Amino acid sequence: MKKLKETIKSFTEIEGGLMPALHAVQEQEGHISKNAISELAHAFNYSKAEVLDVLTYYDDFTLEPSGEHVIRVCGAEACQSLKSKELTDLLTDHFGLNLGETTSDSKITLKEVFCLGNCALGPSVMINQTVIGEADKDKVLSFLDNIE
Amino acid sequence: MNTPIKIYIPNETASNSVGAIEAHRTISRLKGIEEARIIRNGSWGAFWLEPFIEVEKEGHRKGVCYKSVDLSTFNTIDDFLKDFESRQPFDIREIDFIKKQKRIVFSRIGMDDPLDISFYQNSGGYSALKNALNLDQQTIIDKIKKSGLTGRGGAAFPTGIKMQTVSDQDNSLKYLACNADEGDGGTFSDRLIMESDPFALIEGMTIAAFAVGASKGFIYLRSEYPLAKTYLTRAIEIARKNNFLGKNIQSSDFDFDIDLRIGAGSYVCGEETAMMESIEGRRGLVRSKPPLPAINGLFDRPTLINNVVTLATIPPLLNGSHSDFSDLGSGKSTGTMPFQLCGNIQQSGLVETGFDITIGEIIENYGKGTKTGMPIHAIQIGGPLGIYLSSKMMSTKLTIESLQTIKGSVGHGGIVIFDDTVDMSEQAKFAMEFCAKESCGKCTPCRIGSIRGVEIIDRLQKNSSSKEDSILLNELCKTMEATSLCAMGGMTPNPIYSIINNFPNELIDE
Ligand SMILES: Cc1cc2nc3c(=O)[nH]c(=O)nc-3n(C[C@H](O)[C@H](O)[C@H](O)COP(=O)(O)O)c2cc1C
Ligand code: SF4
Ligand code: FES
Repeated sequence: MKKLKETIKSFTEIEGGLMPALHAVQEQEGHISKNAISELAHAFNYSKAEVLDVLTYYDDFTLEPSGEHVIRVCGAEACQSLKSKELTDLLTDHFGLNLGETTSDSKITLKEVFCLGNCALGPSVMINQTVIGEADKDKVLSFLDNIE
Repeated sequence: MNTPIKIYIPNETASNSVGAIEAHRTISRLKGIEEARIIRNGSWGAFWLEPFIEVEKEGHRKGVCYKSVDLSTFNTIDDFLKDFESRQPFDIREIDFIKKQKRIVFSRIGMDDPLDISFYQNSGGYSALKNALNLDQQTIIDKIKKSGLTGRGGAAFPTGIKMQTVSDQDNSLKYLACNADEGDGGTFSDRLIMESDPFALIEGMTIAAFAVGASKGFIYLRSEYPLAKTYLTRAIEIARKNNFLGKNIQSSDFDFDIDLRIGAGSYVCGEETAMMESIEGRRGLVRSKPPLPAINGLFDRPTLINNVVTLATIPPLLNGSHSDFSDLGSGKSTGTMPFQLCGNIQQSGLVETGFDITIGEIIENYGKGTKTGMPIHAIQIGGPLGIYLSSKMMSTKLTIESLQTIKGSVGHGGIVIFDDTVDMSEQAKFAMEFCAKESCGKCTPCRIGSIRGVEIIDRLQKNSSSKEDSILLNELCKTMEATSLCAMGGMTPNPIYSIINNFPNELIDE
């Protein structure tokens, strides 16, 4: 695996490199660790508090690792009109999770997202990088079965 | 020799979300598929027909909706073609949903591989840039001013005036930032351009940059759009290879390049000053204006900020005369608007038309009834900071001016349909919840007021005749409106006012 230092270094040369660097670290490690915060602070000549200040603003950056599969249920208006709330309840019940939580076996993280741009075919759910349209509980579960 | 048959299978988020990926996988493995050519086109924007698979034989192109069809029983290409013919294929360009539209900006989507730069050029692409490079920059800005084009990102600011301000700045370095944060629930027009006609955006950006003297461009793309990221990344590379980006573009002395930056799940980062903060590597807090970004923007340089659709409108606008555009509509509402018809509606998708149309006409001509078959009860227009119309308001015109008179806005053009099972008090509460969740936190009325708003609406849901709470909600909304720094806090009251006014007794008893 690429060393953190190397991953981060390539971004210090570009304007506004901190955001892309955070994305790269999040993608490589699945979260932003304490160690990564130190490395980022060092590379960008910030204090650790400044790095933490930036990353905690954004939903995509997490201080803890997410589950192996991240399920994002759309909670925005077009999906609401097709009962996304009921779908969310079915999924939170099924996994025994509240939104934002991860199963104890670290398999599944369930989250809410506001709009996936798939508003014409709601309700929409994103599993990792794939969007499922006209989603229901069965579609979500069978998608998970297929990628397991 | 016969020309091979072409099979078009879209590669676009909405199509993929209902089976285009699986259809492509199956069809590309059929026996005899070598005799055909598979093209991954974009979507036509008639999303209710997706996955729409087309076959072109001897110049005739027809398609079929393959939703929920199990293709895995086919072994050979002939099995597929026989099945295809049995499903009464039709030419999508002949259906009312497409035919009635006025597609100027979205003229190319669905037709071919969005990354095929020869197709792009053969269908009129890059002729506007080539012409522009031989024009005086002021001539270009004047034409955009005269066309009356206003920003399609939400605020409807005149594009030409903003370009003039950036152009007037005497600075050795200027930026162009394309706002591709498309955060409003119920919108997807930016996504559709980026996935199904990315060169249109790149050409529009290049012309705008040339006109104002910017040498570096950013696209700030929301992270929820991974396929758009893939398409833009490749399109930028292809444009560079073909000398449409980089140094000495098309042998002129103009240099311009684009850097794609990805957002990180914050709605407010679609607000232009928060977007700049984010690009610079900070928390996405809204900056107060002045200074205007056009004078002092990204990295303290003059910066032109425009929405994806605004920028993609520039090439077709410049290809015609300015009056071709300004004659369509009037006032601030000239040219076409890509309305995004979605939610609980049968024929959902992108509808590009003039502004001079009523919501009733949009629904009748394009959307038809609800998906659930129940009566329409509410229509949200203009996203979370827009308004809800009731089913009695079908004659409401969708011009910027008409919606302004009822405290609404066209915004980014989202239209979301709800049937009569909707609880409008929940929609009012969501407006406050969304604001509480997405507020950047800079102003108290937005940060705390929205949480108080949720609490008041909670109480009203239990007792809708409480005079005290209805007065309190109204005062809170007035305070947020008057004292918030940006439209997040300032316009969150709009959906709530509209629910109080247009849906009597559904949130507050009269
Ligand atoms: C809370 C908030 C969110 C916004 N989100 C977006 C967005 O996602 N995309 C966009 O283009 N404009 C958005 N805007 C409007 C931008 O601030 C800005 O007006 C626009 O990008 C300018 O481009 P235009 O003139 O081409 O519309 C938002 C504004 C606010 C207040
Ligand atoms: S109104 Fe809300 S989002 Fe806008 S600057 Fe104030 S706190 Fe931030
Ligand atoms: S509102 Fe759910 S995908 Fe847009």
